[in-house]
Amino acid sequence: MSGALAILAISVLSCSLFGQVSPTTPQAPRVRIIEAPKVELARDYLTIIRWTTNNPGGSPLHYGVVHYGTDPHNLNETAKSPIRLNPDHPSTVFRVRLDDLKPQTIYYYTVDSMQASGKSDEVKSPVNHFTTP
Amino acid sequence: MRRARLIALGAACATITVAMFISAHVVGGQSEAASSPTAQVYNPYPPGILPSDLSSETARVQREVDLIEERALARWHTLKKPILTGQPPVLQNTGTEAIETLGELMLYDNKISPGKNLACASCHMPYAGFSGPIPSVNLTMVAFPGTVHFRAGKRTPQRHPYAPFFPVLQYNQAQGLFFGGNFWDSRATGYKLRVPDAEQAQGPPVDTQEMGFPDTACIAFRLSQAVYRPLFEEVWGAGSFDIKFPRETDRICATPGGAAVFGGNTTPVPLSAGDRTRANIVYDRWAQSIDSFEQSVQVSAFSSKFDAFLAGKYTLTADEMAGFKLFNGRGNCNSCHLDGRGTTLKSDQADTSAAAMVNPLFTCFGSANEGVPLNPADAFYYQTKPDSYGFIANPYGFGYRDLGLGSFLRSAFGSGPNPNASWKQYAPTVDGQMQVSSVRDVASTPPQCPSTEAPGPYFQKAFFHNGYFKSLKQVVHFYNTRDKYAYPVTSGHCPKGTTEKVDCWPMPEVRNNIDMTSGNLGLTDEEENQIVAFLQTLSDGFTRPYLNNDTYTGACMKGGSASTQGNEHLIPTPPLPPCASTICGVAPVPSPSIP
Repeated sequence: MSGALAILAISVLSCSLFGQVSPTTPQAPRVRIIEAPKVELARDYLTIIRWTTNNPGGSPLHYGVVHYGTDPHNLNETAKSPIRLNPDHPSTVFRVRLDDLKPQTIYYYTVDSMQASGKSDEVKSPVNHFTTP
Repeated sequence: MRRARLIALGAACATITVAMFISAHVVGGQSEAASSPTAQVYNPYPPGILPSDLSSETARVQREVDLIEERALARWHTLKKPILTGQPPVLQNTGTEAIETLGELMLYDNKISPGKNLACASCHMPYAGFSGPIPSVNLTMVAFPGTVHFRAGKRTPQRHPYAPFFPVLQYNQAQGLFFGGNFWDSRATGYKLRVPDAEQAQGPPVDTQEMGFPDTACIAFRLSQAVYRPLFEEVWGAGSFDIKFPRETDRICATPGGAAVFGGNTTPVPLSAGDRTRANIVYDRWAQSIDSFEQSVQVSAFSSKFDAFLAGKYTLTADEMAGFKLFNGRGNCNSCHLDGRGTTLKSDQADTSAAAMVNPLFTCFGSANEGVPLNPADAFYYQTKPDSYGFIANPYGFGYRDLGLGSFLRSAFGSGPNPNASWKQYAPTVDGQMQVSSVRDVASTPPQCPSTEAPGPYFQKAFFHNGYFKSLKQVVHFYNTRDKYAYPVTSGHCPKGTTEKVDCWPMPEVRNNIDMTSGNLGLTDEEENQIVAFLQTLSDGFTRPYLNNDTYTGACMKGGSASTQGNEHLIPTPPLPPCASTICGVAPVPSPSIP
């Protein structure tokens, strides 16, 4: 409870005193996937990969990152999409857009997330795959 | 023979001199004739863009603006004369009211435009939460007409209550984000006056498609003629207008900016260096006075139901409370529209937390690209031909793309000059981003039209920078289902069997940097409505009357459904040419490239 109050105080102070920042949460010691990555949407023009982690904290702007490719041993493409952390939420949903994939093709992917600075959250996910329509 | 030649030469010279005189006179005459911005209506628009009642509605707003100006003048005359005292000198007791009243008088002054036909308030009336006051414009062309009928801007008039609270634009290196500024693209940075809202007030008076003066000195010139000049001098000093304006100033200032006659000169009023400096100072005072009014409790009022709720003087209804919980919870709205509250509610909790911020502003001062579709009804796309002054607003037509903050950082077409070269490198990371406005007053309407939502009676507004959304229901539904109902089409081309804005969302205008915090929230129809109900608690005027909210003399609209509100005015987007190189080809170029 006192920890929550401290977080709240940090959030409030950072917003009300300095103005030019979003409220932040302390960086989590470890970022874990709590809902495995899955394909949220698969259309011929747009694919969205979605997963959930504990709230990673740190910079309020985070990027979900998907490393993907047609060879499971060479995930040579990267897509990233911004999301805003909500400091009051215990978990964070990441969603990443993959535009204009080849039709009827098997794609392999792993996911990670990173702070606005580019620093990785060091999330590890096994290689998954999906087939485009 | 030689004498004959001399006579002939003299005659020729005389003829040329007379011809030049006549020519100059005729040109001068044309210039005089052209100085009336209403001389010739500019209408490059296909049917369906300009609403049929545009002239009568423009006149209606002008009358309402004049009425409020009369009220402000009356209020000024009741003010006690401030006493300048102390060191540093302060206008004791009534100084605040004096400068706020001065700002109000400026905001509602129709004479601050070449045609003396457009005030700041013409596009920002109090009954609309200081957004666009003409329902039919909100429904169609979105951008409001300027002093030249009918040049128009490129975006919706942004609500200005609470805009004064935005800080000076800054790139926060630790967070990797821009915070602050004013305007949809944050181009009023506050770099010089240190108040973005004040610098915002310096934009429209010299925007070619808005109030449209050709020279900032024209504002000083018109203020020097204003009936409230004594108040200006009382607040800012008796010598403020010691400026020697040349005789032709009146004619120059009656000619709209961008006119070919100026040849690109942005300071056509010939002033001495000293007078130019004094005119610039008056323009800064203009900006600061308007900012003081917009920041005052009459505009940024904190008088909503939500404020009463924070003070323990109002109990949110079941739907409003449910909407509040969703706003903070599954809707995740407060990840950007910060509500300043102490906790996130669980489904079985009632809100008993104390206010974390005294005056929550419902914005993070940042920017985001929500992936809004291109709105082909935006009047800007059609202004590709010269008007009678030889001015072309948008030579690129549908080659224009609104990259928002990205275009500003590049100083690209469609924005203003960026005063900080170190920001330019971040342009590709912010392409498509628009300012996260406060959601306070998003639902404000005239009292006789108590909603923004069909079936009403309602007041038609336009939401987001390009006015694509016509109701708050559509806004919330978009956040909820943007990705669920995504189609690779442009507006007006949703597949058969689908309904645009209901189960079909056209592709984003700019697909770079799309914020994925929302887009598939899993909210029910009822939950969407509850968020709308909560947004309606943020309208000022609940705890006390909102100044001049009673001035709307137009009609309310009735019937239909909020989900499809305005869909009868959808028009098919034409095939889009590539993005113009003056926008998408400016380094550092967008990544990935924008088609």
